[in-house]
Amino acid sequence: MIAAAPGVDAPPELRARLADLYGAYDDTLGEGDYERWPEFFTEACVYKITSRENFDAGLPLGMMHVESRSMLADRIAAIRKTTLYAPRLVRRLVGSIVLRAIEPDGLRLAASFALFQTMLNEPSQVFLCGRLYDRVVDDAGTLRFAERICVTDATLVPSSLIFPI
Amino acid sequence: MAADGGTAAGFAARQWPEAGPSRVPNWVYTDPQIFAREQERIFEGPSWLYVCLDAEIPNPGDFTRSRLGMRDVVAVRGNDGQVRVLLNSCAHRSMQVCSANRGSAKEFICPYHQWTYDLEGKLLGVPFRRGFRGQGGMPQDFRPEEHGLKQLAVTSRHGVVFASFAKPNETLENYLGPTMLGWFDRVFSGRALKVLGYQRQRLPSNWKLMFENIKDPYHASLLHVFLVTFGLFRLDQQSAIEMDDTGRHAVLVSRRGAQETNEATAQMRAFHQDLKLADPRLLDPVREFAGDATVVMQTLWPNLIVQQQSNGLAMRQIVPLDAENFDLVWTHFGYADDPPEMTERRLRQSNLFGPAGFVSVDDGEAMVLSQAGIAGNESGECLVEMGGREVANVPHMVTETAIRGFYQHYRAVMGL
Repeated sequence: MIAAAPGVDAPPELRARLADLYGAYDDTLGEGDYERWPEFFTEACVYKITSRENFDAGLPLGMMHVESRSMLADRIAAIRKTTLYAPRLVRRLVGSIVLRAIEPDGLRLAASFALFQTMLNEPSQVFLCGRLYDRVVDDAGTLRFAERICVTDATLVPSSLIFPI
Repeated sequence: MAADGGTAAGFAARQWPEAGPSRVPNWVYTDPQIFAREQERIFEGPSWLYVCLDAEIPNPGDFTRSRLGMRDVVAVRGNDGQVRVLLNSCAHRSMQVCSANRGSAKEFICPYHQWTYDLEGKLLGVPFRRGFRGQGGMPQDFRPEEHGLKQLAVTSRHGVVFASFAKPNETLENYLGPTMLGWFDRVFSGRALKVLGYQRQRLPSNWKLMFENIKDPYHASLLHVFLVTFGLFRLDQQSAIEMDDTGRHAVLVSRRGAQETNEATAQMRAFHQDLKLADPRLLDPVREFAGDATVVMQTLWPNLIVQQQSNGLAMRQIVPLDAENFDLVWTHFGYADDPPEMTERRLRQSNLFGPAGFVSVDDGEAMVLSQAGIAGNESGECLVEMGGREVANVPHMVTETAIRGFYQHYRAVMGL
């Protein structure tokens, strides 16, 4: 059950469906099953990872700037087939999810995230943390992300960002 | 410690390999004494250092912070419209007077004792300068005009601001030389710029490896599946490496090729005939500059890479932190009169670059792995013989000549 902000009249059934969406998303990425990641988004989705520096200044650039489910698939294909990177594991913790508003174009939610990175033969370290700003829609009976904006607190990334948030 | 940042004995033990610039000794990437001398002779020496774009500080009072080598500076537009670059360090107790990355100010007030400076760095006020009820205060001979914020020499060209701690005895135009200036003006023609945003990454690697990466077209055809497969930068394409007279600046110029199997791509494990983008809008470049070059990567001594890859335009500023770490600051931009679809195209293409870039991740990881290999082999040396042992402009990519050019100049400046 996802928390609802004061004044947001969300039926328990909807909040349970949202909890299932967030749970399934985290379970999928938690197991590194990135091929299934695009399924959580609508075909015309917006997915972006940017810094608080850009976000607050209204600057449109991100580190990942995705405008469709197919582009999400291209990201995963690159991770699997084309990108050089040293072995690592990234652990995500998403919490404090709140349904903030129910609007004509979808449900607005926000959450906090923390990413921990573990390089081979190195201790685990905090990698990035920040906020998620989501818009979720009912896509033919399935809840999907129409928009996910990941805003990192840090202006900079330690080395490189390989995996999506 | 000697005045130039290293012990004389330490430097005497450092001998460049006899082969010259076709060998680079691994200690240039690890030795703190070498790093200290680089700060003094290169970053605080007579170099023009990239600071920011005019477009970041369009109005009087607008400021942006930057790091030039180890030093934190503030670039601020004065009421007279001129940009000044001030050392971010109060004349009193050296505290940083500016702690925001950018913004707009009427004056800078040190938070510690409220010493106040105008937009030109001039000291305006010192609280209790005359003491209180006849007691204390600054000495009678204290002269505020002698205690402003340290001001750097500043120059700019077509919206790009450079500064220097030791005023170079040459103009920016002479410093760049006619060849580099021509390529520089191709992107910076005087057309107003628009900043799209920033990317920053901290790489556990020596700062020079970043320059070497962009001066090395040989790796691009082997490491970067993305560039190779989609023909964005590949050694079978008509290309050129050009340098200025000193070898300190260089440019890699190339033209887009097709996704086809040929004599060259057959040798590239990175070439994938069948790889297709699910959303081809990611690579939907349009021609926007005169001539047939589609990628022009300029490395400008000592802290700037100007990137023009298709419609992806960015300044990549190199900020050394110590011998084995640097920050790479990306300022992506377009032109102020870009139509919305051009801005969207640039933003889509920005997926190739930065800390999560389809192409740039390969480079970031390669530099980290290079540094790890170097740190475990400090008495070793790197071999830089592809394309010969000399420094010369060439009309192809199977060469490391621009790395040799860089080290030819580096040795002269560093006395190595």
